[in-house]
Amino acid sequence: MEYKRLDKWRERAELKGLLDLAQKPEELYYRGRWRKTLFDHGVAIVGSRRMSQYGRRVIELIVPKLALEGKTIISGFMYGVDQYAHRVALASGGKTIAVLGWGIKERLEASDEQLARDIIKAGGSVLSEWEEQRAMLWTFPLRNRIVTALSKEVIVVEAALKSGSLITAAWAEKLGRKLWAVPGPINSQVSQGTNQLIATGQAEMWLDHSYQPQLSQTKDPLILKVREEAMTASELARVLKQPVAEVGAQLSLLALKGEVVEREGKYYAS
Amino acid sequence: MFGISILRAHALPRHVEIFSAGFGGHDCARKCLDACTSMFGGKMLTKIQSIANLGLETVPVTVEVDVAEKGFPGFTIVGLPSKAVGEARERVKTALVNSGFPFPNKKITVNLAPADLPKDGAAYDLPMAVGVLVAGGLVEIKNTDLTKCWFYGELSLDGSLRPTRGILLLALFAQKRRGSLILVPAESAQEAKVVPGIKVIPVERMTELMVHLTQVKPITPLLHTPIETSLEQVQPEFDLRDIAGQEQAKRALIIAAAGGHNLLMWGPPGTGKTMLARALPGILPPLTPQEALEVTRVYSIAGLLTAGEAVVQKRPFRSPHHGVSAAGLIGGGTNPLPGEVSLAHLGVLFLDEMPEFPRSVLEALRQPMEDGVIEIVRVSGHVKYPASFTLLAAINPCPCGYLGHPRRPCTCTDKMIAKYRHRISGPILDRIDLTVQVAAVEVEKLAVNNEPETGNRVNSQEAKVMVMKAREIQTKRFKGLKIYTNSQMHNREVKQLAELTPEAENLLKMAVEKYDFSARSYFRLIKVARTIADLTAVKEILPQHMAEALQYKQIA
Repeated sequence: MEYKRLDKWRERAELKGLLDLAQKPEELYYRGRWRKTLFDHGVAIVGSRRMSQYGRRVIELIVPKLALEGKTIISGFMYGVDQYAHRVALASGGKTIAVLGWGIKERLEASDEQLARDIIKAGGSVLSEWEEQRAMLWTFPLRNRIVTALSKEVIVVEAALKSGSLITAAWAEKLGRKLWAVPGPINSQVSQGTNQLIATGQAEMWLDHSYQPQLSQTKDPLILKVREEAMTASELARVLKQPVAEVGAQLSLLALKGEVVEREGKYYAS
Repeated sequence: MFGISILRAHALPRHVEIFSAGFGGHDCARKCLDACTSMFGGKMLTKIQSIANLGLETVPVTVEVDVAEKGFPGFTIVGLPSKAVGEARERVKTALVNSGFPFPNKKITVNLAPADLPKDGAAYDLPMAVGVLVAGGLVEIKNTDLTKCWFYGELSLDGSLRPTRGILLLALFAQKRRGSLILVPAESAQEAKVVPGIKVIPVERMTELMVHLTQVKPITPLLHTPIETSLEQVQPEFDLRDIAGQEQAKRALIIAAAGGHNLLMWGPPGTGKTMLARALPGILPPLTPQEALEVTRVYSIAGLLTAGEAVVQKRPFRSPHHGVSAAGLIGGGTNPLPGEVSLAHLGVLFLDEMPEFPRSVLEALRQPMEDGVIEIVRVSGHVKYPASFTLLAAINPCPCGYLGHPRRPCTCTDKMIAKYRHRISGPILDRIDLTVQVAAVEVEKLAVNNEPETGNRVNSQEAKVMVMKAREIQTKRFKGLKIYTNSQMHNREVKQLAELTPEAENLLKMAVEKYDFSARSYFRLIKVARTIADLTAVKEILPQHMAEALQYKQIA
């Protein structure tokens, strides 16, 4: 676990976003190779630690597209939305920056360490403003300010009413970053924060416009149903009034073709 | 009713009473005994036949009773008796006295031969009591050949007989010896009557037995009833039709029953996993007489047959709690009794919240899942019990249980979830062919009426018919091999007997690539697809069968 201190970060052009901060980090430590281009167009993906299936799907829709556009996914390396955003970015061949909420010298858990290595291997970076610092309640909001400052845009995927993600949103407003929020079901706790951001006009509503025209002109009742609402095989069999054996077989075929996606037993349109 | 020749208390003052001062009450008995002995001449040594059950193996035990004139009065049991056998002294003596028999105040020695075989249980009470009476010369047995009689049963202090476990095993053992007669507690005698070729004498009390043996008033033997008659009309406990929604889970149950596959159900609490599990025995084919006997043997030795129950009629359903010990699950004790796996023999073993079971306990399932038997090794030797069951496991999606629940939030972290799911070891999961989700039911979606013709609302009776047809096909396929269901196929048999059409094979290849299946999952999928094809009586595995099988692949 090798890390380096970044010399005179204030003089680096790629980090001028950080200069917007009133409380600038004193030092910056990083793992991996330093690549200037990594910071060209950073997009922060932030959200709840308690990611729902919906949040998962949202990330799977947004992140690959951003990665394809050559944007760098910046997030906070926490489990839930943060880590999933890192993972999806890597899986779709993109680059990603993880800003730690603790010192760079802290030991990571095995699975986290693996993710950190994967991020570095893919040409990304793991950053922290501390060398030795245990994770504390106060370190995470500070971490959020760096995530925001490094990014050009911030997308809040899921957030409860009192959450770190809303702190990040507040930073984005303060620093003048473009703020997006993904709308969610009104009965979901982890969407109340994002919906509020939209309702109050703090954030722009993220609607996946480029997604719509991709829909093929299908007549398959299964795909049409699944596009309306994610459902289990049993529910589909019930609404379509078909034997569950047949529905299941068709779903398997559609999943193999990539036309539907199964997550925890529910089928989603891809 | 027992004014028999035994009990005439002649007060013949023959002995000098040396110790008599403190024994007022025994005086009479001793005198009586003397009288009897003098009357019949007193047999010194008697051999009574009984048995010992070592697991499901039955060996003969001869209870040798010697009542000696010489030596200090006493009652000694030798021949490796356990504590329970040793305590028979008190039970036998008190029961005899309370039944009105005199107890010989002599040196009584009981040997349980073979002497090096450890004996356990209270079932030697009856042979010992009979032995004491005969050897002490207190009864005269008429028209009965003691070498053909098998005595087995526990005594109560009042002289009545208590239900005793393992009577069916005694009956099956006696069946192999022509003209056998078994004399056993009346309450447990029912289980013996399904065995043809033997005479079963149900005994209520010691006195009744004695009037029987002296031919004063013989007991009527139990009528033999073939097993078939008691196997009729078994109603399932839960009908599939009564379970709302969960169409796919019900379908998975039918596939599991048809192919003998183990099944894993996952979903939040309160979605009907337990109900579904309890419905499984009802769609399995009914027990054959041979199978019923096999199950009853295990239940007889475990002492779990209810009084008056002749045979186990339903396929067993066992659902041990996750606090169960390894010994409780696979069987144990110094004289090992069958555990839950054996009690579930030919039925269903349901492990609810499987990850909560200690890993060591779950690992103990590997042998029975592979071989259908469990071998328990103890200092005293080893015992084999049958343990061929369908495993039904239920797991929550995460430790709190609400991951993916439509309304309740899950409070678990990714790490907790990963850890929870890794608690079940790979070797166990490898033996589970089917995995199905039992999602939380959204009531508003249930309101949709199911058209009957979709087959989604199948009832248990219809399901059972489907299962039995599929099993018939399998029986034909595996003729001459030592397997009976698709789940038992090894890789070699899968290659030989589960033919895929080229299209189905292509489909499987695509799936292997997409989901990164292991070789094991590959064969599992073919086995499941084979069963699905059997359910529709199709000879080759078609793409739609393979596609449906993919629905039941393991969760990552």
